[in-house]
Amino acid sequence: MNSVWSKLDRKATAIAEFTMRQYRTRISTWVVLGVGLGSMLLVALFYADAMNTQIEAIDNDQDSYDWDGDGYPTGQEIIHGTDPYNSNSYPIGIEPDPREKWINEDDFNWDNASFAQISKVGYDDDGDCRREGQLVSQSQKDNNGDSIPCNIVLIYSNYSQVLIISSDGNVDEDPDDEKYAKEALHRAFILGVGKMGIVYLLGIFLPLFLATGLIRDEMTNGTMHFMIAKPIARGEILVYRMLGYLGIVWPFLIGLCLLMSLLTGFMGPSESFFRLSDLAIWFTICIAAMLVTLVYGAIFSTFGILWKQGVVLAIILAAWELGMAFVSVLAGGDSAIQKFSVIGWGLMIVDAGAAMTWPDMAMFIEMGEWVGKQSCDRSTLGDECGPLIGNEPLRFFSSGHGLGVTNWVAALIASLVLIFQAAAAWFIGQSLFKGKEMDD
Amino acid sequence: MMPDLSQVGEAETKEWVPDNTAPVVMFDNVSKQYGRINALTSISFALSGGVTGVLGMNGAGKSTLFKLMMGKIKPSAGEVKLFGQNPWKNTAPYARVGFVPEHEKMHDWMTALDFITTFARLHGLTRDEAEKEATRVLNFVGLGDVMLKQIGRFSKGMRQRVKIAHALVNDPELIILDEPLQGCDPLARTSIMNVIRELGRMGRTVLVSSHILHEIERITEQIVILHNGRLLALGNSHAIREMLDQHPHKISITCEDPKALAKDVIDIEEVRGLSIPYANNLIIETQHFGVVHAKLPGIIVDNSHKVSQIDSPDDDLQSILRYLTGGS
Repeated sequence: MNSVWSKLDRKATAIAEFTMRQYRTRISTWVVLGVGLGSMLLVALFYADAMNTQIEAIDNDQDSYDWDGDGYPTGQEIIHGTDPYNSNSYPIGIEPDPREKWINEDDFNWDNASFAQISKVGYDDDGDCRREGQLVSQSQKDNNGDSIPCNIVLIYSNYSQVLIISSDGNVDEDPDDEKYAKEALHRAFILGVGKMGIVYLLGIFLPLFLATGLIRDEMTNGTMHFMIAKPIARGEILVYRMLGYLGIVWPFLIGLCLLMSLLTGFMGPSESFFRLSDLAIWFTICIAAMLVTLVYGAIFSTFGILWKQGVVLAIILAAWELGMAFVSVLAGGDSAIQKFSVIGWGLMIVDAGAAMTWPDMAMFIEMGEWVGKQSCDRSTLGDECGPLIGNEPLRFFSSGHGLGVTNWVAALIASLVLIFQAAAAWFIGQSLFKGKEMDD
Repeated sequence: MMPDLSQVGEAETKEWVPDNTAPVVMFDNVSKQYGRINALTSISFALSGGVTGVLGMNGAGKSTLFKLMMGKIKPSAGEVKLFGQNPWKNTAPYARVGFVPEHEKMHDWMTALDFITTFARLHGLTRDEAEKEATRVLNFVGLGDVMLKQIGRFSKGMRQRVKIAHALVNDPELIILDEPLQGCDPLARTSIMNVIRELGRMGRTVLVSSHILHEIERITEQIVILHNGRLLALGNSHAIREMLDQHPHKISITCEDPKALAKDVIDIEEVRGLSIPYANNLIIETQHFGVVHAKLPGIIVDNSHKVSQIDSPDDDLQSILRYLTGGS
């Protein structure tokens, strides 16, 4: 047992080490890794720019306007019970508020959302729902009929999807645009660069350039003859060459994810110095990217064994995978076709990780949309309405894993599927390699 | 070019040791086809011990023979066995086999020691054992003092010797060398030939392929001749050489005054005919190539003939094959 293992280990480390050294001596390896790192850092520049740009505060409920020209903004007139559309009706003996006071004056108070079937949230910060001191009945302040005035009722489906947001009106209707936008853009960036940049683009291009020639290059060069003349099975050669390839690609991905997690952790919106909780999403991005490079590596090196121009097959697969990546990003777990891909399962891990890192994600997206919708409903200007800034990119890049199980289980299932895919690709690759006549 | 007689080594006199167990190499009626082309047809032989030269023109099937032995290709018919085992999809025999491929390409970025150590580990040696073994084989092929240099900086002959060292790791019983002398300068040839002869003396079974008869003759007298994928002859090179000597043999001399040289050469008893096909060229015909060849230098020097080149257009594989296949 000991000697079997130690012999295996000697051969394994010999080939894996040799393969890694071979990669390190090739300029192309450094070009590929350098371009990968550079492009991710370039995208990170846009993120840094967004995080440092002031987002314009929008008067989502349009109560900072003084419609009747009496000097008092609409919101101030509402809480004092005067008519905002009549210049002769205004609060007496009270200084008119500056307009800015009625912008971003009623932020979200949804922190106590429980993600149970029904959740009651919201607080009327600016008092335009409570209208204290006015002759307004309780039922007028309780449009959603939950017997609590001036709140919001959220009704969830299973798995935290918000179905209905029912507000008593004028509650949390003019949130802090900058706060929402920064949080949304931060999350959208991590998901966007994580899913499309690291898991898809790097996940497919690193293996395309580095793994396709893993066996093929040696066969074309004639240097494979030195290896296959030794008492080692070809299936083993393939595994150990794969280990060497992973020995280059995995540390690179780990380093890249660590770097990006530090960048977004320090620059992202946070009350503390560092967004510690985001490490979870970066962890799942890293795991997904590592598994995806494993599967593509096994598939592409098999393509290389199969055919001299194996890279053509690899590019065809990459095109299919690109389509599936978009299906996954756009439709999320609702689409079954992505299950016939590698990237679909890889992105599922990230989706599960996002749901674990940000359990409020569905609600967070919905509330940005809900405020926008409300603002459009009451808008008379037309142009200043729509979802809060950051909501649309976040909605685009965020999706549910759709496996109908808890997030942990979903991540585990997706990981196992990817490992199975890699094992299947290796099995096909080694049997092709074993039966390959090397005749050049 | 005339054979360089000063470099001819000792003849390989080792008897073939009959092996009670399976022969080291056994081909039983082996054929290999590529599409409709027959690369090898019904090859049968068995070898154990000693150095054997595999002689054949380009495309005669030498490389195909070796590829079958190394499990790189599968026989279309028949059976190949190394130590009694089929090498196709079975790497077990390679613990006892060393192979020197014909390919030029190597891992130029590695030092010779690194290269050999890496591949030695595939025999299941630890890092330290492998490095010790690599040092041993590199010293054996005479590269001990340059083993820390990159292979990319090596001359052709040194590279060939690195390849041989790669094959000698783990002290194999069977060593197969595919055209090990091709492209080497005379010095490198001599040292590689010495290495091969030494392996034969050590009792290993060695197969060397070449398309040049006198090269093989300097290494061994046991030869296998392949022609158009068929095994034409398997036997002693002396017998083949005798066969050659009974046929008229030509020596072509490029010189300033062929007529003057012809007058001097005609006195040699063994010369059967002379002709001057064009200016500056004399063709001598003889049935005793060795004798004439030995007397020539003296005549040239004594009479101060200006000779620029001596060729033996017949002394190549082509003519041997012609004799063997019953041609002119």
